[in-house]
Amino acid sequence: MLEIIRIHNELLGTYGDRGNADVLKYRAGLRKISARVTDISYLDPLPKTGDIYLLGGAEDAAQILSLNALRKGSILTRAANKGAVVLAICAGFQILGNRYVTRDAEIEGLGLLDVVTTPGDRRLVGDIAVATELFDFPLTGFENHSSVTTLGLDAVPFGRVLQGNGNGVAGVDGAIDKNVFGTYLHGPVLARNPEFADLLLERAVGSSISEVDDELALRYAKWRRALIK
Amino acid sequence: MVNLRLRFAILVAKSASAASRLIGNKGETLPGRILLAIEPAAISLLAQKKEVILVSGTNGKTSTTRAVASLISQLGPVTTSGSGSNLSWGAANALISPAPYAVLEIDELHLPGIIAQTDPTIVLLLNLTRDQLHRMHEVKRVADRWHVECAEADGTVFVADIDDPYINYAVANAANVVRVSFGGRPHADGAVCPRCGSYLTWVRGNYSCTCGLTNKESDLKFKKGSAAYRNAILANVVGEIAGAEPIEFSESQLERTVTKQFGETSAQFRLTKNPASWSEALQGELKPEVILVLNARQVDGIDTSWLWDVSFKALKGHTVIVCGERALDMAYRIHVEGIESDVVDNFDEALSKVQGDTVTVLSAYTAFFELVM
Repeated sequence: MLEIIRIHNELLGTYGDRGNADVLKYRAGLRKISARVTDISYLDPLPKTGDIYLLGGAEDAAQILSLNALRKGSILTRAANKGAVVLAICAGFQILGNRYVTRDAEIEGLGLLDVVTTPGDRRLVGDIAVATELFDFPLTGFENHSSVTTLGLDAVPFGRVLQGNGNGVAGVDGAIDKNVFGTYLHGPVLARNPEFADLLLERAVGSSISEVDDELALRYAKWRRALIK
Repeated sequence: MVNLRLRFAILVAKSASAASRLIGNKGETLPGRILLAIEPAAISLLAQKKEVILVSGTNGKTSTTRAVASLISQLGPVTTSGSGSNLSWGAANALISPAPYAVLEIDELHLPGIIAQTDPTIVLLLNLTRDQLHRMHEVKRVADRWHVECAEADGTVFVADIDDPYINYAVANAANVVRVSFGGRPHADGAVCPRCGSYLTWVRGNYSCTCGLTNKESDLKFKKGSAAYRNAILANVVGEIAGAEPIEFSESQLERTVTKQFGETSAQFRLTKNPASWSEALQGELKPEVILVLNARQVDGIDTSWLWDVSFKALKGHTVIVCGERALDMAYRIHVEGIESDVVDNFDEALSKVQGDTVTVLSAYTAFFELVM
C-alpha cells in the first residue's frame, strides 16, 4: 500500500494543492498500485510510514503554524533522509528551506533544502513554465507569492524559468535534493503535469511503473504547454 | 456651495451614459469612469447628500444588495448599483441619481476606500472566502484592510455575519456593530485565527480562539440555513436598522439562479465562481443533465487551481457536459474524482447535447453574464 500523506491541508491548502494527492492516487490506481491518501491535520502526529509527503501553499500565519508543528519530532526530516518522496509547493517549499524571513521575524526552516526565503518587493502572480532536467518538455503551473527564494551553494534548482518568475532570483524555480522537490508551481502541478506525478510514483515505488493511457490528462497537459509564451 | 466641476462632470457622464446605451451597452461603468476622471472626489461629494448603505462580501453581494434596496425603497427613492457593477466607477454612477438613499454593492478590495469616501450609515458584511486569488492574493489580506477601515468608521453601523471568522475580525475594533450568528457553519479557509494567527478551535461550525475571537457571543441569533436564507435575514436586519418593515424573501430571490428558455430546453443557471459558491450550488437541486461552464478571465480568477478544493461528488450519476474557455481544467478535475464528461467547444454545442427538456447550468461569472444577463 502506497501511503500518500497530505500534510496540514487546512493550513497549506490555500491554492488548491490538495489535488496533487488526488492525482497521485488516481494515477497509481490506473496501474493497479493500491494507494491511500491520509490527511494529517495540524493537531495530528505525522506518520513515519509515508511513502510520499505533500505540502502546499499557505498564508503567512498558517505557514508558521505548520512549520512549528512539523519541527516537533523531526518526523518529516527523518522520513526524507530515509528516501521518502516529498513534494512541497510555495509556502511548503519555503518551510523545507534553511530559513525564511517575514517582515516581522526570521524563522528557521526544516533544512531539507539549502534555500533561504526573504520578502520580495512585489507579488509574483501568473502562469509559469519551467524547463527541468527531469523531462524533455517544460512543466507548467500557476504561481502566486511575494517572497523570493535564494539557493545556497549546495542547492540544485528544480528548473529554469521559461515564463513567469519562480524563485524570483537567478531565473530558476524551486530546488531539489534526491527525492525532495520544492517548487512554486500551483495548478496543481501534478494535475497540469501527469508525467511529474508518474515520476514521483516511480521514486516512491522504487522501480519503473507501466505506461498508462489517460488521454484526457495528456490532452490537458499538452494544451497548457502549447500556451507557454 | 455649488461645485461647478462636479456638475460639469455629471453632465458629461450622463451624456456618455445615453450615448453608451444607444450603442447597446448597459451604460453602467462608462459614465462613472468619466465622472471620476473629471472630479476624483465625486463619490464623496455625491454621497454627502445621501444615506448610503454598502454591501460587501465574497458571495451573495448582488442579490443581497437588491434585497436591501427593495427594503429601503419603503423609505424613499433608492439608487442602487447595476448588476455586478461593484467597483468605484459603478458606485460613482449610482450616486449621480438625486435619490436620497443609495444601496451599493462594493467589491471587497474597493470597500475600504468607498467607506472612507461615503461615510455610510450602514455597511453589511456577508462573508469572506477564497476568490480571484490572483487579485485578492490572500483572504487575510482583504480582512486586514477591512479591519483597519472599519475601526475608523465611527459613524457607521456594521451588520456582520460573525459565523465567518474573517468578518468577525474585520469588525473587531469597529465602534458600532450588530453581530449576527446563524448558529455557526464550517469555513473552508478558517483554520487560523485572522486576528492573532493561532489555530482556531472549531466545534460543529462554531469557532473560538485563545485571543477571544468567537461567534458564540452575538447580538442576534438565528437558526442555521442556506446562504440565500442567511442573506435574506441579513438584508432585513439592515432594513430594520434603517426603519423599513421586514420583507419575506423567497430563497430563490436571494440565489443567483436564473431560468432561461433555449428552444425546447429550459436551462436553470446558477452562478458558481469560487469554492464556496460551487459547494453551495452542488448542495442544491441538480437536474439529471448538467452543463458546467468554466472561464478564467480576470473577474473569474485567472487561476483554476481552486477547482481541486471543491468536491464534485454530487455530480455522480448525472450526465455532465463541460464547456467554456477552461473546459479541460474542469473536465480533468472531475475525471480524477471519477466523473466523466463530454467536453464541447461552446455553450450552444453543450445545449445541443441535452436530451431532456431541462438542464442545470453551473456557470463561471463571465459566462453567466454573457448567457443570461
